Amino acid sequence: MQGPPPLPPPSPSLIFRTSGYQGYAVEFSPFFENRVAVASAANFGIAGNGRLFVLHFDSSNNNVAQTHSFDAQDGLFDLCWSEANENQIVVSSGDGSIKVFDLGLKDFPVLNLHEHTREVFSVNWNLVRKDVFVSGSWDHSIKLWSPDSNHSISTWKEHAACVYSTVWSPHSPDRFASASGDTTAHTNEVLSLDWNKYDPNCLVTAGVDHSVKVWDIRNTSKDLLTLRGHDYAVRRVKCSPHAGNIVASAGYDMTMRMWDTSRGFNNLVRVHDRHTEFVLGVDFSLFVKGLVATCAWDETVHLFHV
Amino acid sequence: MSSTDRVASISQHLAPSASAAPASAGSKSNLAKSPKSPDDVVIIAAVRSPLCKGGRGAFKETHPEYIMGEVFKALIQKTGIEPGIVQDIQVGNVLMPGAGVTTARMAALYGGFPNSVPAVAVNRQCSSGLATVGSVAAAIKAGYIDVGIGAGVESMSMYYGPGAMPTDLSPEVMAYGPAAEVMTPMGTTSENVAEQFGVTRAEQDAFALRSHTLAAKAAKEGLFKEEIVPIKLADGTVVSADDGIRVPTAELLAKLKPAFKPNGSSTAGNSSQVTDGAAAVLLCRRSYAEKKGLKPIARFLGFSVVGCPPTIMGIGPAVAIPKVLEQTGLGINDVAVWEINEAFASQAVYCVKKLGINVEKVNPKGGAIAFGHPMGATGARQIATLLPELRRRKEKFGVVSMCVGIGLGVAAVIENEVL
Repeated sequence: MQGPPPLPPPSPSLIFRTSGYQGYAVEFSPFFENRVAVASAANFGIAGNGRLFVLHFDSSNNNVAQTHSFDAQDGLFDLCWSEANENQIVVSSGDGSIKVFDLGLKDFPVLNLHEHTREVFSVNWNLVRKDVFVSGSWDHSIKLWSPDSNHSISTWKEHAACVYSTVWSPHSPDRFASASGDTTAHTNEVLSLDWNKYDPNCLVTAGVDHSVKVWDIRNTSKDLLTLRGHDYAVRRVKCSPHAGNIVASAGYDMTMRMWDTSRGFNNLVRVHDRHTEFVLGVDFSLFVKGLVATCAWDETVHLFHV
Repeated sequence: MSSTDRVASISQHLAPSASAAPASAGSKSNLAKSPKSPDDVVIIAAVRSPLCKGGRGAFKETHPEYIMGEVFKALIQKTGIEPGIVQDIQVGNVLMPGAGVTTARMAALYGGFPNSVPAVAVNRQCSSGLATVGSVAAAIKAGYIDVGIGAGVESMSMYYGPGAMPTDLSPEVMAYGPAAEVMTPMGTTSENVAEQFGVTRAEQDAFALRSHTLAAKAAKEGLFKEEIVPIKLADGTVVSADDGIRVPTAELLAKLKPAFKPNGSSTAGNSSQVTDGAAAVLLCRRSYAEKKGLKPIARFLGFSVVGCPPTIMGIGPAVAIPKVLEQTGLGINDVAVWEINEAFASQAVYCVKKLGINVEKVNPKGGAIAFGHPMGATGARQIATLLPELRRRKEKFGVVSMCVGIGLGVAAVIENEVL
């Protein structure tokens, strides 16, 4: 029997230390090629403060450095860049609040939105309308916000368990998908999802059952493909902005894995195993094809080419 | 927002239940605690015929295809289902000639299903009526069908006796002990369980008396009315109640002679009766039920079959129940009502004690010792008996289990949804 082809060796990474803080989410700026932000929490997000790091990196000079940081009273579990204002970042916090930080204003958020009653685990800025963002919380609810208002615009309470992920479709101004602990797509809690950037009907989910699944939203009775390889629960999944068949996932097995969904089998194309703790965040650069960032509980952010 | 909640959340992601394999692969499951899903297998209705004494009861001259057919008619009427949409009918039986397949097909057609609806006969011995429900549930889960019927029937009046077992057997296989053990007579297996695990005659008689008493009480209070569909016989007589229920006294039970061996402890009073009857369960996928306007009354959560030594086949439930509880993520104390078939008091007492089950929750309307064990029908009959009792008690989880005469145990977990 022929085994799967050998995976290419991991490429060297640019490494930034988020000392004292464990990474929960990492996102490249949609405006600046060399800017990336990291949401993190002290004490593994169990208790204590949170910090938002904004980093400038230069791959050619092998250099990555902090340009800004913002502190919060509770762990920061997710972030998204504003699609309308290149200096603003939204973070979601363990105390139920959502904060909008502006790189031009030190220390304090320009907006502090506190309506969720439990940990807010996801924030995501609308990619088409660009004037609203959505949040998902452990209070089982999802809320829609505008940066112009102190109050949410609407609230959805359809989920029966913690909401872990809320992501706008890149194709439709008014459509987002949400993943929750109510196990609708996997045999166990669904922890993350993302939309395919090339096929408006395709999305991927990941969860506690170790798998990543590819779906056609027109028929959700069965997944199109199940990607198996992670040894533990998968915490984050992202679709490549540069190729419709490439998916990245990260999880408790301390790896980031890259998949080719156009292959029915042997679809694991790369494993990034340089983290030494749970990997919770992964993102693709919009500007440089193949550039990926990961953040983990080992207090490091890795930037590397795949 | 407490830190313990966050630790709990992370550990839940990392719990062994996180296994990529389906829950049946031995990992800790939370199936029973999972919310309603469109993919759930749900029960729409479960009905049974009256159970009547083999050879002497109301069905002594009624054929199994007729009893089963009448039960199908009643199931269609009760649920209002369009018969043509049913995609499989599985009928359990143990003793019927031709493996019971003509009986299954004829009963389905007589019952009102068009010939486009397929049928099959299933024989997993005494668990056949539950094996059919498990197979239909599995076919729904696999996506092969959307809706099906798991049923079972037995006429022990017609097909019970010396002809039931093969007599001309391979000398080579019979010379091989483990295979030859399959031929152990049922009464002997009961005595083996009693001896090997020290179940006394007094314990067996006390359990039997409880079964007789509870069944008589339940019948008097009309508790079987919800599950029994009256059967109109060819001569016009309507049979609407079990006719094997007696109310013996402890003294009477104690006086009975051992039935299977001198100095044995199994008697006619503490063993199941020879009986005629049929039962049927309509299952479908929840999303399909919604589409067709069928109202689910329960969720079929899990199903396990486990082997055990044929010489002590009565221990079957004691090996199958832990497996199905593990599969569904339930503990013994989560189960509100147990339908454990009473093939013999010896094995029922052993299983209840071995598993540490509160006997108050076992067969609260009596069991096969009181009203009989029409072998192919029993599993489906137990579901029909279990569901009204869970509804009456406003409880969620019930287990149906039985021992199987070739050395198996079978168990299923069902969740009541009418609370």
